[in-house]
This record gives sequence, C-alpha cells and structure tokens, in this order.
Amino acid sequence: MEIELIEIRDFIAQHPPFDTLDETALNNLPKKLTIRYFRQGSVFPDALVETKSLYIVRTGAIELRNEHEQLIDKLAEGDIYLVDEQVDKFSNKLKGICVEDSLVYLLGYEDLALLQNQYSEFNRQFNQSINERLRHAVELTQSADMRDLSAMKLEVSGLTDRLPVIVDAATTIQDAAILMTSEHVSSILVTSKDKLVGLLTDRDIRTRCVATGLGYAESVSNIMSKELETVLDKTLLSDALLSMTRKKIHHLPVMKGNKPIGILTTSDVIRHLSTSPTLIATDIYKANSVDALKKISALLPELQLQLSLSSATAKHIGEVFSSITDAITCRLLELAEKLYGAAPVDYVWAAGGSQARNEQTSHTDQDNALIISDKLQPEHDEYFKKLADFVCDGLDACGYIYCPGDAMASNSQWRQPLKIWIKNFSHWINSPEPKALMLSSIFFDLRPVYGTFSLFNQLQDTVLKQTKKNELFISHMVGNALTHQPPLGFFRNFVMVQDDKHKHTLDIKHRGVVPIVDIARVIALDNGINATNTVERLDAAFECNALSAEMHGNLIDALEYIGSLRIRHQAKQIRAGLSPDNYLPPDELTGLEKNHLKDSFSIIKTMQQFFESRYPSSSMR
Amino acid sequence: MLTALLGKNYARRQLLKKTTSAVMKEYLQKPFPNKKDLISDIEIVSLDFETTGLNPEKDSIVSIGLVKISKLGINLQSSSHQLISTNENLPETSVVIHQITDNQLANGINIDAALPNLLKILSGKVLLAHNMKTELGFINKMCHKLYGTDFIIPVIDTQFLAKRSFERQGRPYKNNELRLFNLRQSFNMPAYKAHNALMDAIATAELFLAMVQKMSPENNARLSDFLS
Repeated sequence: MEIELIEIRDFIAQHPPFDTLDETALNNLPKKLTIRYFRQGSVFPDALVETKSLYIVRTGAIELRNEHEQLIDKLAEGDIYLVDEQVDKFSNKLKGICVEDSLVYLLGYEDLALLQNQYSEFNRQFNQSINERLRHAVELTQSADMRDLSAMKLEVSGLTDRLPVIVDAATTIQDAAILMTSEHVSSILVTSKDKLVGLLTDRDIRTRCVATGLGYAESVSNIMSKELETVLDKTLLSDALLSMTRKKIHHLPVMKGNKPIGILTTSDVIRHLSTSPTLIATDIYKANSVDALKKISALLPELQLQLSLSSATAKHIGEVFSSITDAITCRLLELAEKLYGAAPVDYVWAAGGSQARNEQTSHTDQDNALIISDKLQPEHDEYFKKLADFVCDGLDACGYIYCPGDAMASNSQWRQPLKIWIKNFSHWINSPEPKALMLSSIFFDLRPVYGTFSLFNQLQDTVLKQTKKNELFISHMVGNALTHQPPLGFFRNFVMVQDDKHKHTLDIKHRGVVPIVDIARVIALDNGINATNTVERLDAAFECNALSAEMHGNLIDALEYIGSLRIRHQAKQIRAGLSPDNYLPPDELTGLEKNHLKDSFSIIKTMQQFFESRYPSSSMR
Repeated sequence: MLTALLGKNYARRQLLKKTTSAVMKEYLQKPFPNKKDLISDIEIVSLDFETTGLNPEKDSIVSIGLVKISKLGINLQSSSHQLISTNENLPETSVVIHQITDNQLANGINIDAALPNLLKILSGKVLLAHNMKTELGFINKMCHKLYGTDFIIPVIDTQFLAKRSFERQGRPYKNNELRLFNLRQSFNMPAYKAHNALMDAIATAELFLAMVQKMSPENNARLSDFLS
C-alpha cells in the first residue's frame, strides 16, 4: 500500500471488528475506502452512495432512529454501520441524522464480503455488533415506558397550544404591536382575503421599522416576512425541527389544509423536547405517598440514560435532575403538612450542594436545611422535627441517601431560626476553620425550594455582604478550593486512583468537576454574586470582570466536557445494570478524548495556579 | 481576460489548434466539465506538490500526491504518491511511467517522466488544491519547458473559497486562519500527523467536501459556484 495512508490504516486498525485483521488485510484496506463528509443536520446516508456499503465513522456523531422516531443508537468515532437490505433488514428502516459534522469511510459491499469470507473472527464480531444493535432496537420498541420518552414522534399540532393571532395585511404596524403586546405573543400571522401572506415578529418591528425609521402608521405588509415556510399539522416534530435548523428560522406557521392553526416556535420545541422530565414532574405532583414517589424515582436512572443518548448536555441533565429533586422535595413537604397540619410559623426549605447548583445527576446524597422565622417558639420544635424527619426519610427512600456529614434538616443544627443562621454564617466567615470550610461547600451553595422564600433572601443578603471583598475569608476559601487538584502528572500523563476498589480509574468528579465548582463559588462569594449554578456563576464573574473572557470560555468548556464524559460513563453503567459512579477508566476513552480530557485538566491547573498567585496567603495554609 | 469571457473550453480548443506536442494534444482533447453541471456529478482531482521552494523558476518538485473525487466521495483507490527525483543528471524523458522499475519508483522518477502521467489523470477533470498558485505555477512552467505551451484547467481552490466565504460574511480574517490545518479544525476534522503530498491532497479533498456541504446542504450546487 501507499505508506502515506498509514494514518488511515492505523485508525481503522484500532476499532473492532477491524482490530482482528492481520497486517496484510489492514495494509490493503485504506485503498478500498471512499471518504464522505456529512454536515450537522443532514440526513444519513444520502442518495449519492450505493445502498450496499459499510460505514465507518472517522469523526462526528450520527443518531439512528426507528420508524417511531425512537433513538436506537448513536454512532461515534470508530463505530460501524451497515446499509444492506439482504443482510440487515432492520437497519434499512432506520433513519440517520448527523448531529455533528461527520467524516465517514465507506467500504464497498464486495470488499466487505471478501473480508468476511477470509477472516472468521472478523466475521463473527461483525455479525455480533450488527445483531446487538438489532436487539437493542427491538427492546426499545417493545418497552412501552420508553415510548413516552420520545418527544420526537410528536406531531407539530400537539405543540401549538393556542390559535395564532392573525391580522389583515392593511393593519398598521402600531396596531399590530398593540395587539401583540396585549396577546403576549412575539409573532403574528398576516392574511389578505383569508389567505396567509406573511409573518410578523418582534424582530421585524425592531429591524425593519424602528431601526429604519419607518412610520408606525405604515401597514404591516411593509415589514412582514413574505416568503413563508409552513408545515402541516401532521408533520413530525423531528422533521419540523430539522427544517427550522436548516433554514435558520425560529417561527413556523402550522397549517391545516390552507388554514393556519398555530405558530411553532423554537422555544416551543425546546420546551417539549424535555417532555419526559415534565411528565415525570407531573406524576410527582400527583403522588399521594412516599411509596408512589419511590416508584417514580426508580425511573430516574433510565431517564438519565435516555437524556444522555439523546445528546443532552451535562448542564441540561443537571438542571433536569435538580428540578425533579425539587419536585420530590416539595411533594414530600406537602404530604408532611397534610399529615402534621400547617406549620405554626413561616419557614423555608433550602437545598444545598449539587441540587442547589442545579448540577445533580440521577442519584446523589441529600443536603438540606430548614430556615425558620424568628417567631419560632420552643414548643414548635417538635413540629419542625417531625416535618424534617418525614422529608429526609422520604428522600432517602427515593434514593437520595442520607448525607454522610449529616448536613440535613433532620439534624437540629441545620434546623434553626433565621437569626441563628445569620449568626452561624458570620462565625464561619469571620473565623474560617477546616470544619466551616467543609460546610461551606454545602451551605454556601444554598437555594430555596419550598416555603417562604423571603426568609432565605434575607439570609443570603447578609451572607454576601459579609463575604464580598473579605480578603481573609476569600483566601481561606481559595486555599480550600485548591485541595482538589486535577489528576495530571508533569508529563501530561493521567494520575490514576490508587485504592483497590477503583484502581486504574480517574475520579472525574472530585478532581475534574469539583475544582471548577469550588473556584466558581469563591468568585461568587468574593463578588457578591447570588447565582448558585456554576456556569451562571462563571458567566456573572465574567460580566463583572472577575474572570477574563479566555478563562471564562475555557472553564465552561472544560466543565461541560468533563461533565459529558461523566454522563456517558454513568449511562454505560446504568445500561449494564450497575449503579453509576464517578470513576472513569481511561480505557473507555479514545485517543482523541484522552487528549481533550488532558486539555480540560490543564485548563483547571492553569486556573488554580492563577488563583494561587492572586491570593498568595491561600497557599501558606 | 479572454478566457474569463469565453470559458476554459474555448481556450482549450484554441490551445489544441496551436500545440504540436502529442502529450499536450491528448491532454487537451477531452472537454472540461460544463460549469452548470451539478458539483456531485463532477470528477475532481485533488493535487498537492511538495517542493523545494515556492519559485517554479528555481525550485523543483519533490513529490506529487493526488486523489480523485467523484460523486462527492474521495476514492482512495485512485490515490497515488509519486516521489520525484531532483537529480537533473538522469534525463529520462522518453520513459513512460508504467515502465519504471520499483527501484526507480522508490528513489523517485524524473519530473519529465512524471508529467505525462499527471496530465493523463487531469485530462477532462477539474483540479483541486489548497492555495493553487504553487501547483499551477509548477505545472505551467514544466509544460512550457517540455511542450512549449501554456497549461490550462478549471480550478477549485479551497483557500480561495475560504477567503471568499469570510469576505461574504464581512468577517475580517487573519492569514493564519486560511491555512489548511486551521480551516479543517473549524470544520471539526481530524488533524493528520503525517505531512506528505498525498495526505495533504486527501486533507484538502476532505475540506472541500465540507465546504460543499456547508454551501449547499441539499447537494444541489453547481460547478460554477466553486471555480476560482
């Protein structure tokens, strides 16, 4: 072979089933390939290619869905996909969409058949991988529970929940704007003699009228969009979404025959793509016992798996799971109030830790606190103890295990009137000792979930006033934030976990996610930022110049990248019936991913060095 | 100027009338593709030279890498990498390429011997390269030297396309951004470690496919949309 094609050969040789081939076969392989490129959003495969081919993904990602629009598989680097009706009847019904720009190698059917005949191990593994996909697809199709999770098979008519607001083409721009304001819509349809002739959006009024100085008394026909894309009511959401993405449009009139029956907007789509979590939340609010909640929360690992398969971002998954925990917490409190009667004085239930930051995954331990009005009398304590025990026990039953550090409202220390909370926080801030710093990671991330939120706001205001620009406290916090270092050696090699249970793995939570979370918390406290979510804290820090644009962008990328590897690792464990953890074996990663991960760790290192030099006293501790 | 107005095929016929070289006659015989044809129907040759420098008058070609694109697929079967001997003491102008021994192949053959084969491959095709100036300059100089005539071919230049795309978006760019490596990165393409004429020709071809998809996701663009 051309020695120059070694790079292609080496890539192929790494991936099963090709890794079973001998040197000669591998050397001959590159010359038999054709390279194709598919852009994000395009249909895969396309008509340009012969139907009988084997695809090998070099870079990118391709989603395969069956005729019910269920996600069957996601092809990524090194994955193979066979298109051939004789061999694999099932695949033929699958529809592929490239969710990333993808570079693929094609192997002709005859060349494939030659390899299959000549190399029995190759043939066996090849058939096995094709069969696995088939089996997975069938399982999915048969599972009724799963069907609800596929928002993509919805018809667009199911999403347009209100009739469109319609004006005549002769209406003035001002009248249209008045109508849009009173109807609370950002877009309206324009008709002339009952025929749809245009679409008018907030943006049109801004860019084509206000910005150009066009009179408000002109008719809307001057500024509306005229060449309209529309969809029929029976169109599948996935198809509508595809055409919106492709044509870069945000509003799509939905037609029943010639009559407009609604407008589909990008925000509708985004809202409904998370239908399954929404459904779960609805079930939670209907649940009448801890047992019922327990049943619902048993579905959560499956939801995490589905979300990660549908390429939701780590940030989005964190938000979904935190809001589900919120919902379960609220429902438990409602049930408790039903059982023990209404609270004698106002209180607020606050979540701590990852739930407060909206960064939870399916199951973690619980951190929470009860802040009670200063009107609290000693005889009320009995009530709040029962309430807290009920909720904490309920959360534990639902899989949110008791906090190992006992940072829960069931512990009387974390069930206090507001004035005591204020006193405690002042103490932690002004004489920061190790215990206080440990607690800080839980209680400086606090978010109200249920009850009288103003109690929480008073506490937060006092806390932020005391931490803002409090150099001593902040440098202690920085020191604390530097205790978790990314697992990267001097020569850019991974530093693995040493204990027997998790040998040869990377603890990507404590040594990847936590360092960023810790630093974001310090910056927030230093600058009086009241956000709890790490990305939101970093955004706010960038806005108030506490973080450079470069570091801000890098940290957010690193957090999302490490988060996505964590989600994928956990999805794999869930699928294998294991309980998800944070110990990632580097063997699960491709060469490219290892490099990305090393880059992400380097970013964290750079950030830590920066903060160490900015708060020199932090390193002296 | 005349070429721009009347098209490459007109210029090709004019050259064909004038030339006395048999190699050139054969090359010019085949019409170039129609500008209005769908890009997916066009046969394209992605070409890369490694040279000792940028000046065709003084420098020489070290190796030639090429690969064909048809139906918007890069056909690796057609890929080839030819080392060129820069030793001027061994003129073998009469040697046709398939008579070259393995040993000579390994050590490289003379450019005079390689050019007829290259022209055979390029005949009737569209030429693709990243920053076309080098490749065109060297072929043109060799054609003058060996056949006493201009070289002509429809060309697609990925660097030109990138520049045009930045300009159309009104987006200022640095020269650095126009490098093959950086453009590939912006299209989410793997970085190839090896740098030889063939890998660069393949890298350019991949970049071109990405650009086609970006300009026309429906695969309905015409050849004229890409020509320099």
